[in-house]
Amino acid sequence: MKSRTSLPAVFLAPPLAILAVLAFVPTAYAIYISFRDRELSRPDGSFVGLQNYLDLFSDRRFINAVGVSLTWEVLTVTLTLLVAIALGILLFEFASSRMRGVMTLLFLVPVILPRVSAAFVWKFAFHPLYGIVTYPYKAITGQPLDLLSSPATALMTVALVDVWQWGLFFAVIVLKLLETLPPQPFEAARLDHARPWEVYAYVALPMLKAPLISLAFIKMIESLRAFDLIYVMTRGGPGIATETLDMYAFSQGFIESGRISYASGMAVLMMLATTVIFTVIWKRVKP
Amino acid sequence: MSVSRFLGRSVLYLAAFSAVFPMVWTVINAFKNRVDIVTPTPLFIFTPTLDNFAYVLGRESVATGLVNSLIAAGGSVLIGALLGLPAAYAIARYPNRWSADIQFFVLSLRFLPPVAVAIPLMVIWLDLGFYDTRLSLILTYTLLTLATVIWLGVPAFAQVPKEVEEAARVDGYGPYAVFLRVALPIAARSLIGAVAFAFVLVWNEFLIALMLTTSDAKTLPIVASELTQLGRDVPWGILNASVVLLSIPPLLLVGILSGLLNNAFRRNSK
Repeated sequence: MKSRTSLPAVFLAPPLAILAVLAFVPTAYAIYISFRDRELSRPDGSFVGLQNYLDLFSDRRFINAVGVSLTWEVLTVTLTLLVAIALGILLFEFASSRMRGVMTLLFLVPVILPRVSAAFVWKFAFHPLYGIVTYPYKAITGQPLDLLSSPATALMTVALVDVWQWGLFFAVIVLKLLETLPPQPFEAARLDHARPWEVYAYVALPMLKAPLISLAFIKMIESLRAFDLIYVMTRGGPGIATETLDMYAFSQGFIESGRISYASGMAVLMMLATTVIFTVIWKRVKP
Repeated sequence: MSVSRFLGRSVLYLAAFSAVFPMVWTVINAFKNRVDIVTPTPLFIFTPTLDNFAYVLGRESVATGLVNSLIAAGGSVLIGALLGLPAAYAIARYPNRWSADIQFFVLSLRFLPPVAVAIPLMVIWLDLGFYDTRLSLILTYTLLTLATVIWLGVPAFAQVPKEVEEAARVDGYGPYAVFLRVALPIAARSLIGAVAFAFVLVWNEFLIALMLTTSDAKTLPIVASELTQLGRDVPWGILNASVVLLSIPPLLLVGILSGLLNNAFRRNSK
C-alpha cells in the first residue's frame, strides 16, 4: 500500500493554480469587458449591458463569419479524415515496414511546419503568375489561375493547406491504429472471400470506431485554429469570403476600429459555444 | 493484384512527394535571385545565390524576432516542463477522486479559441504595463506548454513499470527520490518527445503573439508574416529564405516527434 506522502499536493498544487489563473482570469475578464464599450483609443468605457451581444445578432458580417467558420469546420474535418483513412489503409496494405518508416517521417513534415510557413509556401505555389501549382493551368490555357482571389475557390484552397497538414499526419495515426489490430479477424474475413475493401469497410474500420471518433474530435478542436492560415493567405478576403470568427474578431478588435468590447463579445460567444459543444461530445465519446 | 499494388504505391509516392516538395521548392527558391523566381516557367537550373539568407540574417527585425522566439518558447517550455512533469507524475501515480476532472480540465483548455484568450489578455497586459514584453509572452505561452506537458506526460509516466518503482521503494527511496531517480530517467524518451512537442507548438504560435506584441517582443512568425505582406514588388527570394529559417527548428525535431508517436502506440498494442 502507498504510504501517506505530500508528493501529490506538492506536485499538483502550483501547476494547477497557475493554469487556473491563466485560464480563468482572461475568461472572466473577457466577459467583463464584453458588457462595456471599451475601445483601444478610449481605455475606460462604461457599462452597456447586453448591447454588444444584441448588436452582434444584427451584424451581417458576424452572421457571415459564423457561416464561414462552420463551413471551414465541416470541410477540414471531413476531408482530413477521408484523406487520413484512405492513405492509412494504403500504407497498411501496400507498404513494407521500411517504406512505412520513411513515409511516416515524410508525412509528419507538413504538420510540424509553422502554420505561417505552410501558408506562405502554398500561397506562393498558388501564385497566379509564378506559382508552381498553377503553372500547368497557365501553360495549357494561357490564362493565369487565381484561386485565392475568387470568392468561390478561396476558402477551399486554404482548406486544402489545412488538410495537407493534418490529413497526412492522421494517415500515420490510422496506420499505427491498424497495426495494433489483431490479425485473426482479417484472416477470417479473407477466408470468407471478402474483397480487400470489404475487409476494411466491414472489419477493420468498425473495430477502430472509437479511436477514429477521437481523431475527428481532435481535428474539430484544431480546426478552430484556422487563423494563421487565413491571415497569411487571404486576410479574410476576397471581401469577406474567408472571414472566420477569429479573423473577424481580430479585425474588429485591432485593425478596423479597435472595438475591444465588441470583439470580446464575439470571443465570449465562441468560448461558450466551443466549450459546451466539446464538453458534451467528449463526455459522450468517453465511456 | 499487382495492378492494385502498383496503383496503391503510386498514390503513396505521390502523397509523400506532396508532403515534402512544397518545402523543397521553397528552399530552392531561397537560393534564387529575384529574376530567376519571377519567370513565366518555373526554373530548376539557375545560379544559386546566398544573398537572400545574408539579407534576412542581417536584418535587425529578424535577429530580434529570432531572439524573442527563442526566449519566449524556451522560457515557457522550461516552466512548463519544470511544473508539468511533476504534475503529470502525480496524476499518473497517485490517482485520487479528482484525477479524471483534473485531466479533463487540462484538456478543456485546448477548447478555448486562441482569439478568446488573446483579446482579454491583451487588455490585461496593457493595463498592467506588460504589453509587448517577453515576460507577458512567456507567461501566456506557459498556459499552452504546461497543459501540453501534463497531457502528454501522464501516459508516459503510466508506462513506467510499477514493479521498478516498488523495488526502489523497498530499497529505501522516498517518494520524491523515486520520481527523480527512477520514474524520470525511465520515462525520459517519451518525456523528451512531449517537451519537444510543446516547444514546436509555441515556436509555431502566431495569433497570440500577433495580438500581444507590436514591436519589442515580436516573434519570428510575426516578422516572417510581415515580410509576406509586402506590396507589389515582393522580394520573393528573401521571403522564401525567411520561411526556411522559421521552419528549421521544428523540422530538426521531426525525428524526436515521430519517436513519441511510436512510443505512444507501442504502449497501446501491449
